[in-house]
Amino acid sequence: MYIENIKLLNYRNYSQLNLSFHPKINIIIGPNAQGKTNIIEAIYYLGIGKSHRTNKDREVINWDSENSYIKGSIVHNNGKRILEIGLSKNKKKIIKNNGVVLEKMGELLGKANIVLFSPEDLKLIKEGPIERRNFLDREISNIKPQYYYGIIKYNKILAQRNYLLKNMVKQPSLEDTISLWDEQLVEVGSRIIHSRIYFLKKLNNYINKIHREITDDLEDIELFYQSNILKSQEELKDIKNIFKEKLTKGRGLDIKRGVTGVGPHRDDLKVNANGIDLRIFGSQGQQRTAALSLKLSILELINNEVGETPILLLDDVLSELDEMRQKKLIKSISNAQSFITCADENYLKHFVNKEKNIFSIKNGQVV
Amino acid sequence: MSFYAAPIAKLIEEFNKLPGIGNKTAQRLAFHILNGSKENAYNLSEAIIEAKEKIKHCSICYNITDTDPCDICKDPKRDNKTLCVVQVPRDIFAIEKTREFKGKYHVLHGAISPMEGIGPNEIYIKELLARLQNTKVKELILATNPTIEGEATAMYIGKLVKPLGIKVTRLASGIPIGGDLEYTDEITLIKALEGRREL
Repeated sequence: MYIENIKLLNYRNYSQLNLSFHPKINIIIGPNAQGKTNIIEAIYYLGIGKSHRTNKDREVINWDSENSYIKGSIVHNNGKRILEIGLSKNKKKIIKNNGVVLEKMGELLGKANIVLFSPEDLKLIKEGPIERRNFLDREISNIKPQYYYGIIKYNKILAQRNYLLKNMVKQPSLEDTISLWDEQLVEVGSRIIHSRIYFLKKLNNYINKIHREITDDLEDIELFYQSNILKSQEELKDIKNIFKEKLTKGRGLDIKRGVTGVGPHRDDLKVNANGIDLRIFGSQGQQRTAALSLKLSILELINNEVGETPILLLDDVLSELDEMRQKKLIKSISNAQSFITCADENYLKHFVNKEKNIFSIKNGQVV
Repeated sequence: MSFYAAPIAKLIEEFNKLPGIGNKTAQRLAFHILNGSKENAYNLSEAIIEAKEKIKHCSICYNITDTDPCDICKDPKRDNKTLCVVQVPRDIFAIEKTREFKGKYHVLHGAISPMEGIGPNEIYIKELLARLQNTKVKELILATNPTIEGEATAMYIGKLVKPLGIKVTRLASGIPIGGDLEYTDEITLIKALEGRREL
């Protein structure tokens, strides 16, 4: 899968921009604060329906305008697809697939498979469990759009239950309803845990080969789902009963604290290298390398699951890696269409003798 | 601060309180009334007051009505054995439009939602239970919305009513007609599978 061209109107610092892309390598080069990442962001918008930098759509609309428009044509195995996004300062955003308006944002997921790689991703192993959970949720939604609705529903139920826990003292009649929320939480939450475990199981099929390659066979890597409900993955078939039991058991404590203590919203992704938990004992270099392998394994997974190579966006990632890892990264993405931003011409040496498009950005203009 | 004379400002303010009416629309409506005939203005204000004073909750089903009991509760042709529980009066109109349901209704006026401070005592559940004592009702259809709040309300009522020996059913939920399997969320799809029927 690749994106053929993009058209931007009043998007960030571009009042109007038309670009045609190379099906493999696209390098976006230029000094800081000229609009390199804005192009990456616009492509991300087409695939995911929102920005990776902000949750507010209006922030990407050009200062002087009311509306903003992104259009791109995606070439996939079975033909071509035109995606359009219209943003407005006061109105709802409009998303179109081949000219047809999509009712829900979830319908866009999977229309263009996009994998974004940003400096934050390299920090994934080092950061807190929230970032890792968000990472899992984002990547699973991309492959399996239904999962996204499950997460939304789960968060709504959780919000109701937590609110109830906090306000039970004021309104004792609510106490009778706690089991209703428990039941729904278990129903939806169990499926989330199930999907996450299944997803990691599949990633484990790819990640070790990639990681050995990057570390010159020095490290073996393995991913684990760390659940506060399941002790072992064998319990997965009983997951609903175990989840329910734990919720009931923890109710007293939940009431005291005013929050729900167990559930997939408290789980984590554990990454082991040579049997060592990298989150705690890994060096910075190890953590970065593992994050790189993780991201590349997703590329591989989408490749195999969806049957299409995803579009890869590398936002200022090269500068975060040493030269050896830069080489490995570039080598392993050679199958996919990639967009690489960098500030320094120095990085171009990786791409000599390769077919490519280079876009030099200066002040919101491509020169 | 207002640029208008006090009576106009007050009128605009009142319109502004209505749902879906912003500042501009409120002004437009206010000036429309001022420019119109006196008769129209009186008719409108009378209609509002009349509706507010005459419309009340039916003492049996809690639907909004101008006669007590309401037309549906009074109707001898309707089936006393099935009772359909809905969240709001508008749901009754939606079901009535189909002309398929011949039973009677009970309006809860809301759904259990801790975030909005609505517990079982804040909606007409007690009244429903009282109504079910010593009645001929054989089946209770729970037609609350398929949201998490509506689901919680249905579960709550189900738990209380089942021990009374009354059949409790829930409105089927699943893929809408004209819907697309691909975009149906997992839970809906599973519900649809569970509720599948033989052709």
